[in-house]
Amino acid sequence: MFPKWTNRLPLMIVIGFLLVGTAVTAGVWYYCTPKYANVGYQPIQPVAFPHSVHVDQVGIDCRYCHSAVEKSWYSNVPASTTCMNCHNQVLKDDPRLALVRESAQNGKAIPWVQIHKLPDYVYFNHSVHVNRGISCVHCHGNIDKMVEVQQAKPLSMTFCLDCHRNPAPNLRPLDKITQLDWNPHQHLPQGWFTNAMASWRVESLQNCSTCHR
Amino acid sequence: MKTIPPPCPEPESGPKYWRSLDQMADTPEFRQWVEREFPAGASEWTDPVSRRHFVQIMSASFLLAGLGLAGCRRPEEKVMPFGKQPENYIHGLPEYYATAMPTRSGAVPLLVKSSDGRPTKIEGNSAHPANQFLDSEGKPRKHSGTDHFAQASILSLYDPDRAHRFTKGGNEINRQLALDSLEDLSKKFTPTAGEGLAFLLQRNSSPSRARLQALISQKFAKARWYVHEPIELNLPQQAASLAFGKPVTPSYRLERAKVIVSLDCDFIGTEENTAQFARDFAAGRKISKSTDSMSRLYAIEALMTLTGANADHRLRLPGSAVVQAAALLAEKLLGAEGAALVAAAKNAGPLSEKQGAWISKCAEDLLKNKGASVVLAGHRQPLSVHLLAHAINSALGSVGTTVTFQDASPDKLASLADLVKALNGGTVDTLVIVGANPAYDAPADLAWVDAQHKARTVFRLGYEQDETAALCDYQYPAAHYLESWGDARTFDGTLVPVQPLIEPLFGGLTELEFLARVAGLEQNRAYDIVRETFKGLAGGDFEEGWKKFLHDGFLANSAAKQPALAPINFSVVAEAISVSAVAVPTRDSLEIVFQRDHSLDDGRWNNNGWLQELPDPITKVTWENVILLSPKTLADLGLAAQDHISGKSVVPRARLEVGGRAIEGPVWIQPGLADNTAVLALGYGRKRTGRIGHGSGYDAYALRTSAAPFVASGAKLTATGETHDVSTTQNHWLMEGRPIIREANLSEYQKRPDFAKALNLEVPVFPVSSEPTQKAGAEEPKPLYPNPLDEAKKTALHHWGMVIDLNACVGCAACMIACQSENNIPIVGKRMVGKSRELHWIRIDRYFTGGVDEPQMINQPMLCQHCEAAPCESVCPVNATTHDQEGLNVMIYNRCVGTRYCSNNCPYKVRRFNYFDYNRRPLDQLYRSPILMSTEGEWELKRWFKNRDRGSRPEDEWELLKLVKNPDVSVRMRGVMEKCSFCLQRIEQGKIAQKIKATNSGEMGNVEVPDGAIQTACQQACPAEAITFGNVKDPHSSVSKLKAQDRNYSVLEFLLTKPRLTYLARVRNPNPEMPDYQQMPLSLKEFSEKNGNPFESHGEGHGESEPHVEKGAR
Repeated sequence: MFPKWTNRLPLMIVIGFLLVGTAVTAGVWYYCTPKYANVGYQPIQPVAFPHSVHVDQVGIDCRYCHSAVEKSWYSNVPASTTCMNCHNQVLKDDPRLALVRESAQNGKAIPWVQIHKLPDYVYFNHSVHVNRGISCVHCHGNIDKMVEVQQAKPLSMTFCLDCHRNPAPNLRPLDKITQLDWNPHQHLPQGWFTNAMASWRVESLQNCSTCHR
Repeated sequence: MKTIPPPCPEPESGPKYWRSLDQMADTPEFRQWVEREFPAGASEWTDPVSRRHFVQIMSASFLLAGLGLAGCRRPEEKVMPFGKQPENYIHGLPEYYATAMPTRSGAVPLLVKSSDGRPTKIEGNSAHPANQFLDSEGKPRKHSGTDHFAQASILSLYDPDRAHRFTKGGNEINRQLALDSLEDLSKKFTPTAGEGLAFLLQRNSSPSRARLQALISQKFAKARWYVHEPIELNLPQQAASLAFGKPVTPSYRLERAKVIVSLDCDFIGTEENTAQFARDFAAGRKISKSTDSMSRLYAIEALMTLTGANADHRLRLPGSAVVQAAALLAEKLLGAEGAALVAAAKNAGPLSEKQGAWISKCAEDLLKNKGASVVLAGHRQPLSVHLLAHAINSALGSVGTTVTFQDASPDKLASLADLVKALNGGTVDTLVIVGANPAYDAPADLAWVDAQHKARTVFRLGYEQDETAALCDYQYPAAHYLESWGDARTFDGTLVPVQPLIEPLFGGLTELEFLARVAGLEQNRAYDIVRETFKGLAGGDFEEGWKKFLHDGFLANSAAKQPALAPINFSVVAEAISVSAVAVPTRDSLEIVFQRDHSLDDGRWNNNGWLQELPDPITKVTWENVILLSPKTLADLGLAAQDHISGKSVVPRARLEVGGRAIEGPVWIQPGLADNTAVLALGYGRKRTGRIGHGSGYDAYALRTSAAPFVASGAKLTATGETHDVSTTQNHWLMEGRPIIREANLSEYQKRPDFAKALNLEVPVFPVSSEPTQKAGAEEPKPLYPNPLDEAKKTALHHWGMVIDLNACVGCAACMIACQSENNIPIVGKRMVGKSRELHWIRIDRYFTGGVDEPQMINQPMLCQHCEAAPCESVCPVNATTHDQEGLNVMIYNRCVGTRYCSNNCPYKVRRFNYFDYNRRPLDQLYRSPILMSTEGEWELKRWFKNRDRGSRPEDEWELLKLVKNPDVSVRMRGVMEKCSFCLQRIEQGKIAQKIKATNSGEMGNVEVPDGAIQTACQQACPAEAITFGNVKDPHSSVSKLKAQDRNYSVLEFLLTKPRLTYLARVRNPNPEMPDYQQMPLSLKEFSEKNGNPFESHGEGHGESEPHVEKGAR
């Protein structure tokens, strides 16, 4: 005969399944989202390029290197010849730049590791964002302070939609787009944002067709 | 409460429009076929894979998926920027280059899109002078339409089966060795001045080639030049040169004509330069209000062609009897001076009395419109008919108005028959073939293959590994025009550059380079040759001029001169006319008409999948050619009619014999065809071609002789007793008995400008409501639920909409190929088309009305209507199809789980489902399991793990097919529904471009896209400019203006779907004095018979003579 505790077995099984099920759900919910899985992704790059030195200390504008960001959907990683514009004078023979010099010489690409990546079915366009008052900082974080670049934001669909549902607080004047440490809410009155929404005719675009084609 | 769907307000008896003969017959089988939601086979599991087998495979895949968990880690992807930045290049922004596609006697000026270095889409060059014109209001307009060949030519560039090896005696040799052989050749012939050297060319209009030819003739004075075109399209030029005594070529200005008569001239479908013909013809047919006038088209033809379909009056004559019609026209129109000419032409014999009356009235109409009328003769007709046409035009005073003549270069090339004579005479030592494929398409009586073997060595430059390549000693791969430097003259004589967008993919040679190397010229780079030619043709600053030439894509003011012509010399023409008595074809002595195929031309597009799958505009048959017979002939011959089993048609096969030669092919019933005539399309049945063209159709060239290239008599047809499956899009998505296409005669339209709306059917009243809120006989029927779009669209900046003018649409199908190219639509193969699984987002529906002998044919482009109240959306369980604010019905592929409910619920049947992963699978391996098969000793599954993108495609195919894809459009997977998106990618790009422009101009709020800035692919390619797209929110946009016209209507409006795509009803312009005059178009007549006269029930008090039937009687 079965011992008496087995009478509680069905209940225990049900509760057990519920607990395990909840744990699994919660685990997937947390660990499998871009917020956990992608934020902080910081691969080792072939050249140790510090954004902090170039942007924060030297004061180069983002668009000096990422020159296509205002024109194309794609914000380009600069060609090695762009680096050499300065580095044929500065740190001319630095061993850390050997790969850059070589690449500018023979035209072969430096194999940078991609960090910010959207799925193929998302048609994100850089140019329309930076031309309509959205700063780099919203998606890339304070990249100007990063010694080694890492992904700062989840870049998930809900991340996009959070802003698309209410774009107003994320707008800023066009001349401050690449000033990542400039906080518009410290410098501008609240009325400016609603004003910009109206006069720029910014839409809250939540149609599927906005990003998926 | 259960919703009861509204009944269709139409009678249950008999169909009004019919699309196939079975439907006409209304058999029970056909009824059942129609009732099915999907055609049989389209939705059933017919694979030989059993359930048990399936479970086995599935468990194996789960196991492997577990093993593959290591793949959960994020794969490292590289960003590879340039080492050295190319000038003016921005990744992600397409670049456009002006170039041109050479054709037989001209070129199509193009603007080609290059996405990161690979050409991806072809558009017409709207800056070219031939594309500038004045619209009906006299405003200057630009035009970017092309024909379907130009649109499809990009796929041939990436054809994995094109010739890509240099071979000697069939064995591959390296490129340098092959080029050295050419050098040896030139050395060999230099001392003998080319004795025994013969060149066989194709026709083209390149001034550089002409210059090279002259240069080579200087060096090799004894070399001989021949030309071979299986379909010779320069008869109009030959005839005009003869008639006017100097080399001239005619060009027709159909937009200026009031009356057009076609003598077997299918200028819309299969003549040269159809895009411009279609535009000019449509310009003369477009009307904006009921007081406008339009041109009238008379067609005299044996085949049912697109021109015949667009004609107001059509006379059905055997191909050989067209000369009789031409003779009678000449008799009525030429005065005393043409007496000799008429006498010569009258040898053909008289027409029947009825046909004679038709011609007489037609001649009267021509006379009434002297100076604004034109007669065209087609390439299937002999020189005599062309001469008669020129004489008639001259007598009608059309020269200089509707027909202009421009200088042409005289023809210096001898024919293929001459070459065969020379070969058989043993005087040809070395034959150099440039492009032509005579082993396939030479007339059968010339016995080309034997003749070619008589040459000691044969060198050949060819684009394909074809029949001729197999026979040659040396084969050189030719470069595609998108890989070539070259030049050409467009049809108006303007000089255009052919400039490359990509390096030759397989190291192919251009024609110029090849010829220069054969002759051992020092200047043997095509680029240098073209520049040298340009230097001679253009004056002024050379470098600046050259840059502008390449930038604009044409040399300004280089059009051919229109010389002053002496009046036509009637006695010369009369002498040149040789007409013998026409024998009337009978059941036992059929007449054969060889047709230039609408899709494959003479066979040169045989391995192009887009064109193979493009349904013929008349028969809607895909992937092969058929033997066309009229219904009466078929009955006379005692052949069984075609039978529909599922989506494919099962037809009898027959053997056609003429002059001791025979072919076998499937028989197809073609209404409107001349009796006792068999029509054979050329270009199929290739023995050596690529994977696409392999096994498609029969070879009609086997019956063709040099004496009877287009019309042959004395053929005999016998049934073989076998049957044949023909895949067609004809019977799919039947929309019987509703006013889908609306049309009226011009006179009726003038009386009732709103006739199109008078054909609206009553909106069915929902039988659901017993609630007191539903008022009986309420004025405006309302849908059950409020439409969320009504609220959402209030804040949208744009409301996208489209109008298609059925008066302008000629049915040429350029839009279908343009859409396929723009939207990454794969081909599905003959077997899948047979199961109604084709994926075209836009199709051309074609309906016949009236009897089977003398039907009227009408076309309608059908695509997603972007209904505001879309029935597809409400049934999607996963919200994969929804509306956006701006009124687009969008498909979200990632959400789609493939229930296909949306397709079931779509009244327009425009949604397409990916039953297989057509992108990653070759067409013959769709049913192969990727798990259980091995290729070349390697398991498919292993292959798949190595390269998941490629699927089971061979490496070479995959690498090339990837290149043609538009990067702005998702490539769809298996199990996903898709449909027209109104070119969403272009809309979004247009909106973004406008926003950037607004920012740069400092007016941030100026974000509304200006009218005309966004064009859909179909609109841009349409040569007739029948499609207009734009913002319907703006009342001044061109689309809004068209929608405000009285002919505007929507299809199936009674379903209250509120389509954003509307049509402008078609207006016919028949002549009341003609014996075959119909008081109303046959479709309207049939509508009236079923639904009652739509014009009477509205009480306007006309049309009393017509029978009155209560509207809505059923």
